Amino acid sequence: MSAENYTFLFVLVLATGFFAYNAQRLVSFVALGQADYRLDRPFARLWNVLMVGIAQTKILRDPVAGVMHAVIFWGFMVLTAGTVELLIAGVFPAFSFSMFLPDLLFEGYEASQDAFAVFVLGAIGFAYFRRLVLRPKRLDGDKVEHGDAYLILGMIGALMATLLLSVAFLEVARPGTVSEAHFASRMMAAALSSVPADAAWNAHRIQWWAHALLVLGFLNYLPYSKHLHVVTSLFNVFFSNTSWKGERAVMRPMDLEADDAQFGAADVEQLTWKNLLDGFSCTECGRCTSVCPANITGKPLSPRKIILDARHRLMEKGPALAAGSIATDIVSHRLLDQFITEDELWACTSCRACVQECPVSIDQLDVINEMRRHLVLSESRFPAEVQPAFESLEKNGSPWAFASADRAKWADGMTIPIMSDLAARGERADVLFWVGCMGSFDDRSKKTTVAFARILQACGIKFAILGQEEHCHGDPARRLGNEYLYQMLAKDTIETLNRYNVLTIVTSCPHCFHQMGNEFPQLGGNYEVIHHSTYIERLLAEGRVELKGDEGKRLTVTYHDSCYLGRYNDVYDAPRETLRRALPVMNFVEPPRTKDRGLCCGAGGGRMFMEERTGKRINAERVDELVATGADTIAVACPFCMTMMNDGAKARDAKVDVLDIAEVVASRLAN
Amino acid sequence: MKIAVCIKRTPDSESRFKIAAGGAGIDESGVKFDMDDFASYAVEAALQINEKQPPGETIVFAVGPDAIQETLRKAMSMGADRAVHLKSDAPLFDGISIAKALAAELKSGGFDLILFGRHAFDSSAGVVGTATAEMLGLPCVTAVSHLEVSPGKGSARREIEGAGEVVEFSLPAVVTIDEGVARPRYPSLKGIMAAKKKPLESKPAQVGPVRVSVKSMELPADRPPGRIIGQGSAAVPELVRLLQTEAKVL
Amino acid sequence: MPNVLVFAESRGSDLRKVALEATTAARAFVDASGGGEVHALVAGPAGIAAKAEQLGKYGADVVITCEHAGLARYARESVAATLAERAKQGYRAVFMPFSANGRDLGPRVAAKLDAPLGSDATSVAMSGDAIVVKHPGYANKVIIELTITGPLAVISLRPSAFTPVEKPRAAKTDSVQPAADPGAERVVVKDVVEGAKGKLDLGEAPVIVSGGRGLKEAANFKLVEDLASAFGNAAVGATRAVTDDGWRPHSDQIGQTGRQVSPQLYVAAGISGAIQHLAGMRTARTIVAINKDPEAPIFKVADYGIVGDVLEILPVLTAAVREAKKGH
Repeated sequence: MSAENYTFLFVLVLATGFFAYNAQRLVSFVALGQADYRLDRPFARLWNVLMVGIAQTKILRDPVAGVMHAVIFWGFMVLTAGTVELLIAGVFPAFSFSMFLPDLLFEGYEASQDAFAVFVLGAIGFAYFRRLVLRPKRLDGDKVEHGDAYLILGMIGALMATLLLSVAFLEVARPGTVSEAHFASRMMAAALSSVPADAAWNAHRIQWWAHALLVLGFLNYLPYSKHLHVVTSLFNVFFSNTSWKGERAVMRPMDLEADDAQFGAADVEQLTWKNLLDGFSCTECGRCTSVCPANITGKPLSPRKIILDARHRLMEKGPALAAGSIATDIVSHRLLDQFITEDELWACTSCRACVQECPVSIDQLDVINEMRRHLVLSESRFPAEVQPAFESLEKNGSPWAFASADRAKWADGMTIPIMSDLAARGERADVLFWVGCMGSFDDRSKKTTVAFARILQACGIKFAILGQEEHCHGDPARRLGNEYLYQMLAKDTIETLNRYNVLTIVTSCPHCFHQMGNEFPQLGGNYEVIHHSTYIERLLAEGRVELKGDEGKRLTVTYHDSCYLGRYNDVYDAPRETLRRALPVMNFVEPPRTKDRGLCCGAGGGRMFMEERTGKRINAERVDELVATGADTIAVACPFCMTMMNDGAKARDAKVDVLDIAEVVASRLAN
Repeated sequence: MKIAVCIKRTPDSESRFKIAAGGAGIDESGVKFDMDDFASYAVEAALQINEKQPPGETIVFAVGPDAIQETLRKAMSMGADRAVHLKSDAPLFDGISIAKALAAELKSGGFDLILFGRHAFDSSAGVVGTATAEMLGLPCVTAVSHLEVSPGKGSARREIEGAGEVVEFSLPAVVTIDEGVARPRYPSLKGIMAAKKKPLESKPAQVGPVRVSVKSMELPADRPPGRIIGQGSAAVPELVRLLQTEAKVL
Repeated sequence: MPNVLVFAESRGSDLRKVALEATTAARAFVDASGGGEVHALVAGPAGIAAKAEQLGKYGADVVITCEHAGLARYARESVAATLAERAKQGYRAVFMPFSANGRDLGPRVAAKLDAPLGSDATSVAMSGDAIVVKHPGYANKVIIELTITGPLAVISLRPSAFTPVEKPRAAKTDSVQPAADPGAERVVVKDVVEGAKGKLDLGEAPVIVSGGRGLKEAANFKLVEDLASAFGNAAVGATRAVTDDGWRPHSDQIGQTGRQVSPQLYVAAGISGAIQHLAGMRTARTIVAINKDPEAPIFKVADYGIVGDVLEILPVLTAAVREAKKGH
């Protein structure tokens, strides 16, 4: 080992030591968060890392920026191997992977280094072009600075250049030492062959040092930059919610009885460590904000800002908290109000578009939900118009003040069996039809209810309803942060369902479907809950629904995806398939934003019970888009979507019919 | 200010009522009870006065069976400091007899202000507040839709048919509260937890002799089903006739 | 032979219609109970005696006037004392209207006399030694029949439940002095703001006329305002669609996320009746709907519906209501 090696060793130890110090500091900040067990299902987690992380599936949803990023990321993975080799060789000059690898493999490795260095350089060039010339809108806003990005891109570019040049000059100084597998370096060496050997050697050492110092410098820049995601994002993906359906989208359980119960979050230490890790994983790419229905229509919410605010607040409060000392001004100052305002939190429709889109599996919605919980449970702060909904849920078991005695009025003259009547006769139903509050009280939605009941009757399904014993399961209260009211209503519902030994539930409301199917298990209610889209589709597929022989109207139909059906539960095909089977001659058209990219109707997250006073109305935005497909019929599979699409169509004077898929099928029944 | 608020527990107004067997009361099965709406306006008004002009104490009172303690807890979850339950199973339709129980309790309390709801949903009589004031010898303003108090005096607006009456009065006084004074707050879970630990004193009520009692209850004739009376402006004379003779609202 | 003392309410220097109703009710009550005398007491400023004379026409045997300059406005403590003082002179019952001031007065008088009180009666009769009244409770959802015992009772009568009927008597006149100085009231009326000047609040207006998108444009809300002013005691409401579009201020919105109202009469003009709107007005006593679509959900909750163009119907209705009000 030469003096140069010792010098490098010193620099290496210093740099990694400094990085280790910063890393443990950030880890200690993340550790300030609330406990959250995230080591269950290790294989599902690894699968997520493989798909979302390594295979870049989510980032590739943006085909342009996605490819660009994937090239840089895969380049980073490949070139990291070379970096390891280079750093070791800096201390032990004789070291090389060729010591372990068979020749062919080693040559492949050498070629991969050059190839990716070139690809990455190309991608970096495009990245500059994109930021400077194309300027995608989502990269701006939320006080996001481009400087950090330019510096990072510059550093990566310089890393690639110095890597190639150091190898090229080595070849010039000592011809024949560099294998031909380093094709790019060899080509550069050929171009530089006129440089004298001594000068080339010096240039090689300079490039080598520049590259090594850049690597170490970059490493130490990470903790101060959004580029920290190269370290954190794979972990973040590993710890993100697992399971592909439903369950990943449930709200966090909350024990209201616990002595140390904390009612939601008002500041960073009340968030979970995963929420805080989300902050250090965010690359500020703005994908979440660019798909947020509230943001698109001019509301004050930006999911990216929620996550960045949590990070900024953590950087501000973390040092004092971690040291166990808190300055008073840091206490009176908190995440809620000083960083994230009430208006931002209430603007959310809980549509999950942000969560769906985030390439590093950040859960923006979880933070919003926890902060809403704090507002309602700890401070009783919410838009004034929400109070009647809460009070009515408590007193009437429905967000609207309708008498529960009128719940089954839609069934007048239809001979629909009631659970209690069946039980009194010692009979049972195979299936409980959970009608829901909209389906029971809203005049328009009652037509869907009747249509679905007619289909069930036509197919001879032995079903029953709860009638007056049905009341809201509390989902709107939960989404609005009122966990206390939710648990009261949910537990009561579970008790009723268990009393009748209900096993299978069908419902035409995606919110009821999600709540009872995915969130009731938190409170001990386990049922098979099927949304009517899936149920009808099955009946159609089994040939149990007798349809009219004629072809029916040649409608041009578009389908509006419900968030709680789609992004929450991955039900995209059943409603479409139902329409196709019922109306084989229809002309089916899709809007640009569809399926897991579908735009919310604006009613989710309790927004149904709030005013929408800022910006364009979300339902108007959506109706405009759906009408632009040329459709004469908008099909929906959710009573809330139904209301919003109807109101939107009226507001835009659009000549379209809005129909539930059950109505479409019922209109085609043979009798 | 030391403020007393006398509250009542009544059935939810959206309930579909049935008459109980015996015909002298409503069938309470399946009926949800809660603090009466007007009582909750009164609680809110008291809390706001004490929040705007601290220090103060808000004490809630109620006459009734044990179930009313839940309603008193709710008032404390909104922010009242303590509660007094005057236990009585006496029927609730003789306002004068209940006023006697409250007057006996409130007499020596040294309150600056005593608030009531303007009337309760069930009896819809509006007797207790005013009668209590009379028994205590205090000035009383009823059915107040706007209230302001400062040490020693208050001013209020009350709605009379087609007009608003603006009054001034001296404290201590009794005021009965109409809607419009304040929208009752929604108790936070923190408030609900805190209310469990606040003092609630229960003692027998000194209810006066009962001279008003329920003989029977019945449901009014069903509202006639809605009907479309005609097309276009030609139907207007018939509409006006129905509004005058049948609905009696014109 | 029960005698009844009637508080015949006045405002300013005029008798109110409820005074005639109470006198009629007392006459009928006395006549149905084996006869007796009806004494009507009127308290007001100088000159009220002349107006009080007409009470004889509705069945008062004695018209008692209490004239005092301090009674031009409602002097609650003085009137209560005067009424209670007179009531001690051998009456079986004191009748008064369940009007805003009658509601205020009843419990004061009952407490002063330590007499039971039956509020808001829609019928009143003797039954043996007791008085039996019917009273709609539970927001008119239950009719309660109450038995009131004791030698003297105070009964307040629901306005409009008793129609004034002429039963002329040769009424004697009497006069009393206020039993308490109206100048020494502890509650002083500073002002009476007439409804026409002050805007009626949606929560308090007995009549609400509401408009929806069926009005087609903001300017047509004038038609809704015209109808409201024809009623005289009406406030103007709107649907969420209308307030969202800025045709009306958000404070006018009736519905789940706006105001929840239950007026005596609700006129829905050009409103289809979405759940959001119904949640705010369903409990109105009488609902009138005007809409061009006979399938509109509003007709399901309306007592009276007219199918047609709201822009054509409203002016005709406004004129008809003006005419009806004039004849009153």
